[in-house]
Amino acid sequence: MTSPRPPAGGDRAYKRSWKNLLINKRYQLRFTLFMVGLSTLLICGLGVWVMRVADETTAVSMASVRGTPCPRIPVLTEVAVEPPAEPEPAVPMRLAEPGDPPPPPEAPAGDTANEDGEPDEPASDGDGESASEGADEAPRRITVQIDESSMMMMPVAPKVPEDFATRVVAHWTCELRLDAKIDRLERGRMTILWVLIATGLLLVVGLALYGLKMTHRVAGPLFKVSLYLAKMRDGRFDKVWNLRKGDQLVEFYEHFRTAHAGVVQMEKDDIARIEAVIAAAEAAGAGDLPTVQELRDLLVRKEKSIE
Amino acid sequence: MSDPTVATVPPSGAPRPRYKRKLSNYLLDKKLQLRYVLLVTVLSGVIAGALGYLIYQQKRAASESIEKDLAALTMLDDSQEDFQQHVASGLASEDRALVYKMIGVGVGLVVILSLYLLVMTHKVAGPLYKVSMYFDRMAAGRLGVVTPLRQGDMLQDFYANFKEMHEAVRARASADADALELAVARLREAKNRADYRGEAQSQLDEALDQLAQHVAERKKNLS
Repeated sequence: MTSPRPPAGGDRAYKRSWKNLLINKRYQLRFTLFMVGLSTLLICGLGVWVMRVADETTAVSMASVRGTPCPRIPVLTEVAVEPPAEPEPAVPMRLAEPGDPPPPPEAPAGDTANEDGEPDEPASDGDGESASEGADEAPRRITVQIDESSMMMMPVAPKVPEDFATRVVAHWTCELRLDAKIDRLERGRMTILWVLIATGLLLVVGLALYGLKMTHRVAGPLFKVSLYLAKMRDGRFDKVWNLRKGDQLVEFYEHFRTAHAGVVQMEKDDIARIEAVIAAAEAAGAGDLPTVQELRDLLVRKEKSIE
Repeated sequence: MSDPTVATVPPSGAPRPRYKRKLSNYLLDKKLQLRYVLLVTVLSGVIAGALGYLIYQQKRAASESIEKDLAALTMLDDSQEDFQQHVASGLASEDRALVYKMIGVGVGLVVILSLYLLVMTHKVAGPLYKVSMYFDRMAAGRLGVVTPLRQGDMLQDFYANFKEMHEAVRARASADADALELAVARLREAKNRADYRGEAQSQLDEALDQLAQHVAERKKNLS
């Protein structure tokens, strides 16, 4: 475009209003929607790509975390078997026959019988003492005692290693740490997703508003020029005011002002010529002629048009 | 830069030449066009760059995790060192390829987008340029015929308003010129019949001559 000419009009303050933001729907929406649509497309396309890679990374990291070895809990089924000092002779089992004297009470080794020769209560007694208490003193093997019609099995408590508690704590600490890591990875993946969605929404809304505002700075001057064009079409050549601050198409507007000024000048030239003819006709005594009256009417119309 | 309004003056008898788009004329209003092109292009570049970096970061994190696990697995076996290095270099080259691919896509996007936007904004700048040319002609008092916009141009509504105004002003100016011409003829005829005094007659003659010249010039500008 050619260089602008100096402004000739005055300055009248028109303020922008949100209500008037969309004044040229076709132009403004086309450019804004293109911008918003493209950004949405980019964010969605690349966002899906980002999420795919993030899923892949999370899966790899989770597998890595799951593969991290934790200290194991020691197995409690192991029993320290101490060989007996000397093997006991095998006693053949004999069933009591009628007429036999009752067998004397056998005093087995250890605490299977008390001082009165009566057998101990099995496992736990009424005082709540556990079997493990007695197990510390008893030989660590299963003892089967057959006493006439009853058979009693005494369980052997496993041996608890000295660092058992430490190892259990270490195991579960490690397991919990790994779980926390996996949880953190999953949360990281979700954070990426939410950040993408939030950024996308903010960007789309922000761009839509900015796009409308930006195109409004072009549509505004066009709207203003359109109003003047309508007036010029109806034969009214009002004063042309300046654009608002921040409006675009300043050079274009200057072109319009020069055109407007040119048309006004045409009218003024006509007025000057017509006035001269009317004055000369009146001076010559021909002021009453219908042609001169027509010229007066034309003059009035032209003068009114540039008021 | 060619004048689109020149096409309004066809050689006698010949059809009006079609004004075609030229590559050299695509940047008609640098301020308007580059502003929009740069905004959209930079914005797209920033989105693509930021998300591309995020993709690369995630991909690199996955590769590093695999490399670390592999290193832990093969730590006790020296014979696996080559295998580990091979896998690591493979992953690194995959990541590099991803970066190149993203840069290529990004540059392609920016170039294609810029060209497309240049064409799109040209469809706005074109009509504005054409109207500006007509405004310049109007400023000089020349009110020729206004030709329609090219196919695909935007601001058709605005241009229709302009055309309507131009034709109305032209029609009014033409009617006024005819009326003035008729008035000059009638006054000359009346002057010949009437008995006007000497000085007044010469003044009327001079005024009518000037008006006749003015009308002739106006009619010339309206053609």
